Amino acid sequence: MKRNSRKINSENGKKVDRRNFLSSAALLGGCGLLAGTVAPVFSSLAHAQRMAELDSGEHKYLHNNPENTIYTTCLQCHTSCSLRCKVVDGVLVKIDGSPICPQTRVHNLPYAGDLAKAALVEGRICPKGQSGIETLYDPHRIIKVLKRKSGTPRGGGQWVTVDFNVAIDEIVEGGNLFGEGHVQGMKEVCVLRDRPASKEMADDVAKIKKKSMTVEEFKNKHSDQLNTLIDPDHPDLGPKNNQFVFLAGRIQHGRSDLMKWFTFDSLGSVNAFEHTTICEQSHHIAYKEVTNKWAEGKWSGGKDHMKPDFGATRFAIFFGTGFSDANFGPPLLSQLVAEGLGTGDLKIAVLDPRLSRSAGKAHWWIPIKPGSDGAFAQGMARWMIDNARINRRFLENANQAAANADRETAWSTASYMVKIEGGRPARYLRADEVGVGSKLEFVVSRDGKLLAIDPNDKDHAIKGDLEAKVEREGIIARTAFDLFRDRVSEKTIAQYAEMCGVSEDSIIEMARQFTSYGKQAAAEFYRGAVQHTDGYYNGQAIILLNVLIGNSGWKGGLAQGGGHWHELGGAPGNPYNFAKMHPAPLWDFGVKLNREGATYEESTLFAGYPAKRPWYPFTGNLYQEVIPSAKDGYPYPIKVLFLHMGTPVLSTPAGHKQIAILRDTKIVPLFIACDILVGETSMYADYIFPDTTYLERWGSPGGGSPAMLATLSKMRQPVVAPLPETIKVDGIEMPINMEAFLIALGKKLNLPGIGKDGLGPGKNFDHQDDWYLKTAANIAMGDKQGDSVPAADANEMDIFRKARRHLPKAVFDEERMKNAAGADYWPHVVYVLNRGGRFEDSDKMYKGDTQAHPYSGLFQIFVERVANGRNSMSGQHFDGLPALEGPRFANGQPVTKGGDYPFHLITFKEIFGTQSRTMPMNQWLTELCPENAVLLNRVDAEKLGLRNGDRVRLGSATNPDGSFDLGNGEIRHVEGAVKVLEGLRPGVVAVSWHFGHWASGSRDMTVDGSLVKGNPKRSRGFTPNPVMLEDTVARNVCLTDPIGGSASFNDTYVKITPI
Amino acid sequence: MKKVSEIMDRREFIRAGGLVGVGAAAAGAAILKDRGELASKDPTGEKTVRNLTAMKNLKTQPSEDDHIRMQRELAAAMSKPVEKRRWIMVIDLRKCVGCQACTIGCVAENKLPPGVVYRPVVQTEIGEFPNVRLNFLPRPCMHCENPSCVPVCPVKATWKRPDGVVVIDYDRCIGCRYCLNACPYGARTSDFGRYYTSNEAQGAPEGKERPIYGSPAPWEGLPSNEYGKSWNRKDHGSPVGNARKCHFCLHRLENGLLPMCVSTCIGRATYFGDSNDTESLVVEKVTRNNVQTLLPHWDNKPKCYYIV
Repeated sequence: MKRNSRKINSENGKKVDRRNFLSSAALLGGCGLLAGTVAPVFSSLAHAQRMAELDSGEHKYLHNNPENTIYTTCLQCHTSCSLRCKVVDGVLVKIDGSPICPQTRVHNLPYAGDLAKAALVEGRICPKGQSGIETLYDPHRIIKVLKRKSGTPRGGGQWVTVDFNVAIDEIVEGGNLFGEGHVQGMKEVCVLRDRPASKEMADDVAKIKKKSMTVEEFKNKHSDQLNTLIDPDHPDLGPKNNQFVFLAGRIQHGRSDLMKWFTFDSLGSVNAFEHTTICEQSHHIAYKEVTNKWAEGKWSGGKDHMKPDFGATRFAIFFGTGFSDANFGPPLLSQLVAEGLGTGDLKIAVLDPRLSRSAGKAHWWIPIKPGSDGAFAQGMARWMIDNARINRRFLENANQAAANADRETAWSTASYMVKIEGGRPARYLRADEVGVGSKLEFVVSRDGKLLAIDPNDKDHAIKGDLEAKVEREGIIARTAFDLFRDRVSEKTIAQYAEMCGVSEDSIIEMARQFTSYGKQAAAEFYRGAVQHTDGYYNGQAIILLNVLIGNSGWKGGLAQGGGHWHELGGAPGNPYNFAKMHPAPLWDFGVKLNREGATYEESTLFAGYPAKRPWYPFTGNLYQEVIPSAKDGYPYPIKVLFLHMGTPVLSTPAGHKQIAILRDTKIVPLFIACDILVGETSMYADYIFPDTTYLERWGSPGGGSPAMLATLSKMRQPVVAPLPETIKVDGIEMPINMEAFLIALGKKLNLPGIGKDGLGPGKNFDHQDDWYLKTAANIAMGDKQGDSVPAADANEMDIFRKARRHLPKAVFDEERMKNAAGADYWPHVVYVLNRGGRFEDSDKMYKGDTQAHPYSGLFQIFVERVANGRNSMSGQHFDGLPALEGPRFANGQPVTKGGDYPFHLITFKEIFGTQSRTMPMNQWLTELCPENAVLLNRVDAEKLGLRNGDRVRLGSATNPDGSFDLGNGEIRHVEGAVKVLEGLRPGVVAVSWHFGHWASGSRDMTVDGSLVKGNPKRSRGFTPNPVMLEDTVARNVCLTDPIGGSASFNDTYVKITPI
Repeated sequence: MKKVSEIMDRREFIRAGGLVGVGAAAAGAAILKDRGELASKDPTGEKTVRNLTAMKNLKTQPSEDDHIRMQRELAAAMSKPVEKRRWIMVIDLRKCVGCQACTIGCVAENKLPPGVVYRPVVQTEIGEFPNVRLNFLPRPCMHCENPSCVPVCPVKATWKRPDGVVVIDYDRCIGCRYCLNACPYGARTSDFGRYYTSNEAQGAPEGKERPIYGSPAPWEGLPSNEYGKSWNRKDHGSPVGNARKCHFCLHRLENGLLPMCVSTCIGRATYFGDSNDTESLVVEKVTRNNVQTLLPHWDNKPKCYYIV
């Protein structure tokens, strides 16, 4: 109805004025939205014309016009789906999946097809992806650099804006920045600049670790460099440069590569971290350790992620994950699984204490006890072995030649002899120990004869017996398979069923189903099974189910995925090899702050057990341990923390313990954040640099989920004009973002690898384009000579330019881009950018009954590397076989179950939200689910006398009253409304992520004296993290898997108190 | 092959108490006719023919996506006058994973304000622990053969088009909400003129040097494309104050595109097409599967079918 005369209600009266603005041609100059240093959102004249046309009624639908389309890559979750973004008058109006990429449309349009035709077709994308528009245009986005107001404490919410270049100066020079005394600037941190010296010291520190050099010898040799070290008495802590810490939450290839280039090579600090351990790191570590290759006497280079080929499998069993909830990720997995559900060709089982969306669709929902995934898998393995339902032929193949002779691409160490030492399986027997070969070879037994085995031998097929032993003077050894069988036979099926809280029948039925489809069955696991202190072992047990049926590489079996072209170069066809481009990389050395990838026993800090804090020799990107380590100054104190797109305080179990640490300027003397909003952690920062969202910037996130069998190289690129302020660094325009920060900081510090000749002779690194266009060129030209994509023709060039007509020069300057990519490669690069990456067509996914890109390598039944490691707190060896430990503290002491805390707390993600981003900031999504709840089974709710909507508080042994202190006078509580349901195992309480924000636009703050109101709706719901158990042995950190590093989200017992 | 309208009609006969009647097929022909008097004279005949040629030469993979086939069939249907088309939707509940991409895709495509939703997905839990299951039921407008919403409209602002799509004339609608009550499926919601971002970041400094982006977000100010027109909400313009509902994305059909919910469905659970085309995928889906309609005893004869 037309009621033009009526005034709009007061709710948005003021805002409507702005709207009127938008539609009127008069205002192209003065309005804040349109003018100034912020690039115009609308290209002015075209917009005015369109508005006039629109107001007249009939109009053209512009969404299917290739000139209004930019293909890019999502980042609402890590899955990174290919997107088709529709832009009208410079405004992003709709996000769809790309029809060209098989990830978002399995039967993709041919990559080499016509763009105008592709513009008529859409791929699919999940609700999070659709709501990227809300992320992009979030009204709470910061667009200028904010600095903590002098004389106000961290977290006080008092900000002043500061010029970008002034902020960089202050960070480099230091000084009395906040009226609290001198703060050391980056120039006082980045003190080791001498490249040859860094190499020599790095080499000598390696010698100290191997005990072939003493600390005294080191000090004598490097006496002139000792002042660059954190502690000359412990040279293995590395240079003072390590006191700069780059902590990244959501970061992906492209940015993460740049993070490492800057931190490791330019700045010489070892401390750059991603957030993987609060996701599913133990899952990756389990895959990596089981698939590590044997080369030059070392196990390394394993695949850290594999998945069932859901497109062709007949039976899939999901441990603690699904296909339409989170995982990696719904648009791909759901289309594959749903197809099978529709045709009836696929049967699925989901093991999860909670009836997830995926479990709700499954043929079998098995509500196991949280964390009993490994026990269930071992039970299945036992039944499979006892009932001879394993693939012995596959397992006997001991090297590549034997595998290939069987049309297999994978083989295993099942027949390898494992030496028993001190009563435990300790390591693989070497051929020289029994006189049949070298110390680089292993041993199998065939028909009573011992044979030397090189796992990688492609010429001499050798099979080994699965049941065999060696008993001779000083040597007792048995096959890995024997030991594994013994391990899974330690318990009966009934005992396993008891541990899992399920019937024996369900284990047997799953094992029977799993072994009823040949190689077209597969076991999948992700976060639920591994975010436990024994997550690594759970993962190992599940992987071994796949190995027992030998499904790897087969259609419908386990897949490594199609992979990607080398965006960082190094293959013969790639023009830019980033690994060799850095003009003068420092040799970063020393123990990382969180002691990941480091062995306590090799360190000069070794002083018996327990260590002061745990060491983590097998994992990386150990997020939760970074800030607590700074608190203890162990292994060393830090000077500067740079937090990028992360919020460890909110998203880490017991993360609230980090608030007091971050507020303390003695522990973290300078705290810089870079993000799109003032978040729950960045609110404690000294400086916040605005960032570009994934829709305003570059990225090269690489391939797809391993369930994607085609080769993909996705590119992320600016779709609209960036909202953050455009600034100049050395006269070059760019939007403020992470890249601008690193470029400006690097230039100011005169770091190698940034600025003039930063990317090699004649290749300056002055603008983000200089980096990313080279990655695009590598993708465009391909890995092999002659493997390039076609060059864009005149028509494609025209589409490319017109589709970017709304972008300002700061992000779209064809000459600059062409220079950055290399003129010869430019037309090919445009071809790639016109499609948002490079994608193999999906008809290339299979070759007959096998995958076209199968995993080729071995699976270790017994993981030697892990068996050699020790828990740094107890001194106990880890286990080379999957163990059943249950929740433990850092020193191996078991977590007490039950008692005052009768309920087992688990967490999950709804498909429409992620851990800390998307909800409830994105209100389309919040309309679907305004807040989370305390989910309880009806039986438990009745026992507690609770009904839907009753409010309760959770408490745990380390946070009995479920409260936490923001440090600014506000106490928050872990409390929410009860929701009663049937689809949850009794005794378990489940809480979803997404909610419980106390910043991110929900909180009032003062900027330049103006009070900016937060929206209380954005703080709805609650986060369960603060009641998750603190590791009282390690202190200030949650329970952690000592092998895989995963933060324990699912090992806490809670009480529920009505309020 | 029987005309799909006859077969569907037979299925629609499934009632609470009894099953498939003998006379069903005979009733079929009558059902094709529109019951309600047209409130507005829709254009018919040659001027409604659309020549959408782009899909004709589209190269695809050897195993073609269902959507390409549906888009080809859509183009073929659009080449007929509007009165010869009969749009239906088929939702395969076996494949719906409850992700709600359709719900949000629709919100984004049609720029729906808070409180307005065209295609919710109803989630129900069935059974008792441990024998429980989740059912997901996407619920667009059913575009009934006998729409309850149409006769109650006092100003004839809503009617059924010759192609079966039940539409609303926002300029005519007075916002009385009778139709909201009349629809047995709850397919209509009211647009109260709210905005998602109007109240955000209040107090933030404005202007060139502002530190915070501020509201409103620019996408909220853009007109929606519904019904192939431009609806500009500024100054309380339509559809503010109106009843709103799913229109099968008519504006997209005109451009050869499938409804947004169909396009974006990650489980490929939703199909759309012309039931007068007996070779079409939707006809195939309806005739080869066990399909049901919602609340058949209301005799609204929905044109949205569920494969169960």
